[in-house]
This record gives sequence, structure tokens and C-alpha cells, in this order.
Amino acid sequence: MLPPFALEEPTSVHEASALLARYGETARLYAGGTELLLAMKEGLLRYERLINIKLIPELAGLALADGALHVGATTTHRGLERSAVVRAHFPALAEMAAHVANVRVREVGTLGGNLCFAEPHADPGTLLLVHDASVALAQQGGARTLALAQFFVGPFEVALADDEILTAIQVPALPAHTAAVYVKYGLLERPSVGVAVAVTALPNQVQAVRVAVGCVSPTPRRLWDVEGLLSSKEVPAVRATLDTAGALAGSAADAVTDLHGSAEYKAYLVGVLLRRAFEQAYQQAIGETPSDAARGRGTA
Amino acid sequence: MRCETQVTVQVPRQSVWDFLWDVPRLTACVPGCEEVQEIVPNTRYQAVVRDKVGPFTLRVPLAVEVLEATAPVRLRARAQGRDAAVQSLVKVELTLVLVETSAQTTTLQVGADVTVLGKLGTLGHGVIVRRGEAIVTQFASALQAALGQEVT
Repeated sequence: MLPPFALEEPTSVHEASALLARYGETARLYAGGTELLLAMKEGLLRYERLINIKLIPELAGLALADGALHVGATTTHRGLERSAVVRAHFPALAEMAAHVANVRVREVGTLGGNLCFAEPHADPGTLLLVHDASVALAQQGGARTLALAQFFVGPFEVALADDEILTAIQVPALPAHTAAVYVKYGLLERPSVGVAVAVTALPNQVQAVRVAVGCVSPTPRRLWDVEGLLSSKEVPAVRATLDTAGALAGSAADAVTDLHGSAEYKAYLVGVLLRRAFEQAYQQAIGETPSDAARGRGTA
Repeated sequence: MRCETQVTVQVPRQSVWDFLWDVPRLTACVPGCEEVQEIVPNTRYQAVVRDKVGPFTLRVPLAVEVLEATAPVRLRARAQGRDAAVQSLVKVELTLVLVETSAQTTTLQVGADVTVLGKLGTLGHGVIVRRGEAIVTQFASALQAALGQEVT
């Protein structure tokens, strides 16, 4: 049962930040509540006060500017999935959002909340890493921007000051001839492994590859060494390297054994998903749009 | 889950063994350990361990029992308790083996079998595994520091 709590409803980021500063660890920001309320019901978290930020206009909305996508922190997964702008310009993001958890979660769960809760078995962070996304943070005293990779500190921990609020996610446009794909696999509701790949390519020539892996370790991470192995090669050479790259990715992912599978199992899956994601992203990058099933609908 | 590590100190084995029975100094090496009480000397103790991962806090009152004490070679103890707030059981079986690598040098092998059951174990098993590994490593490092100079 959800324990009783007081509800604050600020209408500006400044006001919300002031409430956080005032109430400290006895209060927590609340948006979709899909993670927070579950943990509170289970007795794992206890707060005297929740600060509802869904009424703050500056945290809402999606906008495209100079090719970059501005996602307000309280944008829901469903909002991303259904946005014409996102589907047209960031199709992998729309696809990923369409397969987060279940429809009840997607309808109310927010992108900002997902990133801030930093549950290790989450989808968005991994894909956003290959987009080189950043987060806009604000508090009473000012604002700053942080690369998403620096935002994730550890499991359930992000680089927010006590009175700081994630206000938006900035997703830069991918370079020309680039496509991103996110694939995942899991037997439970949360994924065991998630792999995101962005490929910049012309027919038969791979110029650059970005790779990120999530769910297998406490935070999602870019795999720079793997990217180096796969970039600036002709496609047959890349394919010949994928087994080596997959093994390296599995190792670099620093998998941990948990209820979603053993570390060895996850490391192996990372390699399998890397190959699948590369092929899908490459086909999209060279303009040979694969079938719906091959577009990385979010499952391996 | 099983966590293992080892440290080597420039301290004779008997001195390391004596340190293990110096309860205040030893428990100071356990991250988050407080409110230590001796119930039966050299046999049973009570303590509270606190830990925090992100917003999640854990407070577990532990009953500690010495299962084996073979001086100055091997010490085995079991600590068990329940966090009432999250209805989770924590059980740790700790084995410390002292290997005399020279007259003045001892290698301390630390092994811990950690079991976490209940809501906590279900919702964050992977995190607990990593946290358990970190705690054992911190414990070993703190022991090393408390015992003096480090070798490895």
C-alpha cells in the first residue's frame, strides 16, 4: 500500500528547486511515478512529500531546432512514440519508446523520470548515448548542460545536485548517411541486455560506428574500443570483425550476474545483439530500408 | 553470491590474528557498521549495518556468531539480520584465512557468501552483487590500512 505523503505542485522550475532545497531528503520529485510509486508501495523508499512537476510548462514539449531534438523532461514515452517529429527525424528513438515496458508505463512514464531514476535495466539511456545526447539541468542559482554519459553516476544515481532538476534532453541530429538502431532481449519485463548502434555508411563503406550497451552493468556505457574496431572499413571487413568486436563488447560491457541472467550469458548476448544491430543500422544508413521486423523494433 | 579478495600486510600472522579479536578496531573496518555489542565474548555479537545505494537506504540489525576460530589461521563467522522496513533478509558468511608468507608478512584471504532475500533481493539483485563486492573490497582495504603498511 502506498504510504501517505504530502503533495506539492509547483508551477516553475525555480519553485520546484526551492522546494527541494527546503525539504531535502524528505522530498522527491514526482512525474510519471512508474518507478517511484512502485518502490514506495514496496516500502523501499519513504518520502514525506512528493513534488509533482507535471504542472511546470517549461518541462513539457518536444521541438526540433537546427536538426536537434529538444525533449522536455516530462515528455512521456508514449509522447515520443507518437510524435510525428520524432518518428520522422529520430525513428530509432520513436521505436525504442514504443517498446519501453508496457503501454501503461509508456502512457505516464516520462523520459526525464526514466533517466533520473537510473534503474540499470532501462532502455532510453543506452540509445541516447549513441545519439550523443545531453541533459539540461537547472536549479535556483542557474542552469548547466551535461553530456548524458556524465549524468549516469551509478545504479540509481545521477549527477544532480540536491536542489537540481533535469529540465530537458537534447538529442543532436545524427550525421548524414547515419542510422541508429536499438535492440534488446529479455525474458522478464525489464530487458536483460540492450545494445544501441549508430552506423554512418555509404554502400560497402562504413565510415563510423557508435556502440552503447545497457542493462548488463550498473549504468549504460559507450564502447569506444569497439567503435574503433568497426569504423573506417569496407563492409566485408567490418563483418569479419564483428565476432571479435562482439567478444570485446561483451567483455567491455562489464556484465554482472543477476536475476536477468549470468554475466557470461549477458556478455554473449551483447555480441549477438551487436551483430544484429549493426546489420540493421547499416541497411538503413545506405537507404535500403529493411522490413519492419528488421528495423529494430526493440526486440532481438 | 560469493565475493573474494585478499590483502598482504607487513605484520606477523599472530598480530593479525590478535587484531581480528579487537572488536572496535575490526568493526571500524566494516563499511556502515555501528552499534556493536558483545553478547558472549569471542562467540556472539550484535551490530547494525547501514548502507545506501542512490535513494535506497538499508539498516540491518545483525546477529553475529563466530562459527570457527582456529588460531592463528582461520576465522569463520556468520552475520544474519532483517531490514524491517523493506522486509528483506541479509545473511553473510565470512571466512578469513591468514597465510604466513614470511615471519613478518601475512596474506589475509577474505571470502564472503552473501545472501539477500525478500523485496530487496528481487528488485535489485545485480546492484546488490556489485555493492557486496565493493563492501568486501573496502573491508579488505580498511583492514590493510588499519594493520599498517601495505605490500600488494
